[in-house]
Amino acid sequence: MPDVVYADYQSSKPVDPRVVEAMLPYFAGTFGNAASLHAVGDEATAALERARAVVAGFFGAQPQEIIFTSGATEANNLAIIGYAMRNRRKGDHVIITEAEHISVLNIAKYLEKNGFRVTRAPIDLHGRVSAKKLRARITDETILVSVGWASNEIGTVQPIAEIAEMLGGTGVALHTDAVAAEGLVPIDMSLVPVSLMSLSANDIYGPRGLGALYVRKGVQVAPVLLGGGQEHGLRSGTEDLASIAGMAAAAEIMTAEMPAEVARIAGIRDRLVARVLAEIPDSHLNGAPLEPSDGRLPSNAHFRFDGVEGEAMILSLRDQGVAAATGSACSSKTLEPSHTLISCGLLHEEAHGSLEFTFGRFSKDDDVDRIMAVLPGVITRLRVLSPLYKAKAHA
Amino acid sequence: MKSTQYSEKTLEHFRNPRNVGTLEGPNVAVGRVGNPVCGDMMDIYIDVEDDRIKDIKFQTFGCGSAVATSSMITELVVGMQLDEALKVSRGDVADALDGLPPIKMHCSNLAADALHEAIKNWRAGVRPEDATTTPVEKSCHPRPAEVAVVEIANLDDYKGSGAYTRVDDLSALADQRVVVLDTGDRAAQLAIDLTDHTSRVVLMTTGKEPSVSSAVRSALRLSDVKLLTEAQPLELKGEGELERIRVHDLNEDEEYELTADALVVLE
Repeated sequence: MPDVVYADYQSSKPVDPRVVEAMLPYFAGTFGNAASLHAVGDEATAALERARAVVAGFFGAQPQEIIFTSGATEANNLAIIGYAMRNRRKGDHVIITEAEHISVLNIAKYLEKNGFRVTRAPIDLHGRVSAKKLRARITDETILVSVGWASNEIGTVQPIAEIAEMLGGTGVALHTDAVAAEGLVPIDMSLVPVSLMSLSANDIYGPRGLGALYVRKGVQVAPVLLGGGQEHGLRSGTEDLASIAGMAAAAEIMTAEMPAEVARIAGIRDRLVARVLAEIPDSHLNGAPLEPSDGRLPSNAHFRFDGVEGEAMILSLRDQGVAAATGSACSSKTLEPSHTLISCGLLHEEAHGSLEFTFGRFSKDDDVDRIMAVLPGVITRLRVLSPLYKAKAHA
Repeated sequence: MKSTQYSEKTLEHFRNPRNVGTLEGPNVAVGRVGNPVCGDMMDIYIDVEDDRIKDIKFQTFGCGSAVATSSMITELVVGMQLDEALKVSRGDVADALDGLPPIKMHCSNLAADALHEAIKNWRAGVRPEDATTTPVEKSCHPRPAEVAVVEIANLDDYKGSGAYTRVDDLSALADQRVVVLDTGDRAAQLAIDLTDHTSRVVLMTTGKEPSVSSAVRSALRLSDVKLLTEAQPLELKGEGELERIRVHDLNEDEEYELTADALVVLE
């Protein structure tokens, strides 16, 4: 990697070298098909089930509740489409929130095209959805509620336990896309009665191209991929053993290191937030406040700067060796600004001025200094160009 | 194509934009164009002598291509006859930059439009301070705004569940997204006071400036109140309580929805 400050962990994380090490024996050594009856196949089966138990353990689940998929997008498809199709006779209504990841939003649109009704529950100023707002939208026809554990964008952590409790006894299933939250906040299926949960291996520093769906015992889901009937018939296709072993290794490392790692990442993030707000005039933090600390992912710093557009900031920072992200329309394929920021109540011009930094395992303590060595200059330069910016001090 | 896959020339103009700034003088006109949906807004100033563009400057809020096209057009047309400059098209600007990503051809390539607008304004004798179309507060000489008289069709449906005509206890609106309708100094002062209780207070006015006294205007500028001008609330929406306000953007003549928990229309 060139010498850049990488502060876009929400988009992609490097695979931990220890994970790569753990994966290597599964390419040429243990290469069997877990479905085969011979000894080579049995070795693969044993490795697969060992890995499944480790991944399940990390999330407080039973091994048979973990279905490996090609990634969290597939897990979301299997969870939402699979659950909706399998339980259609109970009702045709699904509730999501306005803070969901695009993979959930587009699945919801697909369901609507196929005869389901979808309601999008609003979020508050900080991007949080309330159990009360969700409850107000439940009808006799509601079969599923899908709420991301945390926003991939602004880092707001949703009250999943409270929502699960509210749904208890209603017969409405709860799906959560936990990709943004895994490895950053405690997730324990033995404590929180979620029905379905989407996971990604890369988000705990495992390989890209692997995910999992947690399916609570007794929850009925129809497959969306048909074939040889692997993974209890829910996900056909020969298991990607090397990646699965990689996800297990990533889970093991995370189990041991998460508390210290989270504290360190939060420290880096807190310093960046403090410095940006203090040193750059007319800058704002989007999303939930830093306190209470369980309301926001420890890795996430999401700002907006008056009078400056996001893509221009990203381009300028790229020139200066900093990799970050934005919710500006100009960086998206649709030319629409971030739906999450708009739902938080921001105006279009404000959503365009957003800049997201996310930190992770390999972030360095001096990343903040390196960012702050260039960011104020970038903002100043773009504000000089901007017809919109009038500093408050000059007013 | 990724939005960041710009030509080297586009990146070069973004990094070192030419002719940034504004112009003043008796022979200056400005063209202002903006597209709030994709977030690009441009001002192009021309100084005209003998029907030629003697000098040209720009200010742009927008993405990389918005800045680069503005910069490029100033280089293309400086010294040109006005009639000739009117023939410079978006395509010419894109070509001069060795092309733009297809997705940027429309939204972020407004520099030619801004230039044409400036020439039109010059010919119509529109002075920079009278030039319109900028969708945000801009003028140094605000026109006297009229006190908004706004009819919201279903205001009564949300009385007490998001719509308020008086606020006795400001802390009741803590951490809420509060929109205060501009009905004069008292409303603006309430908006300012509310910023002690919530980080999101919008003062919505139908005018280009809030209809407040100059003292309150200064206080507003120094406060964390977000000013939303040329906006008219039309209808309230929400499941049992206020969640969104349908707003008419009077400048763009478009409608959109603003997320909000509370709307204050003082009696």
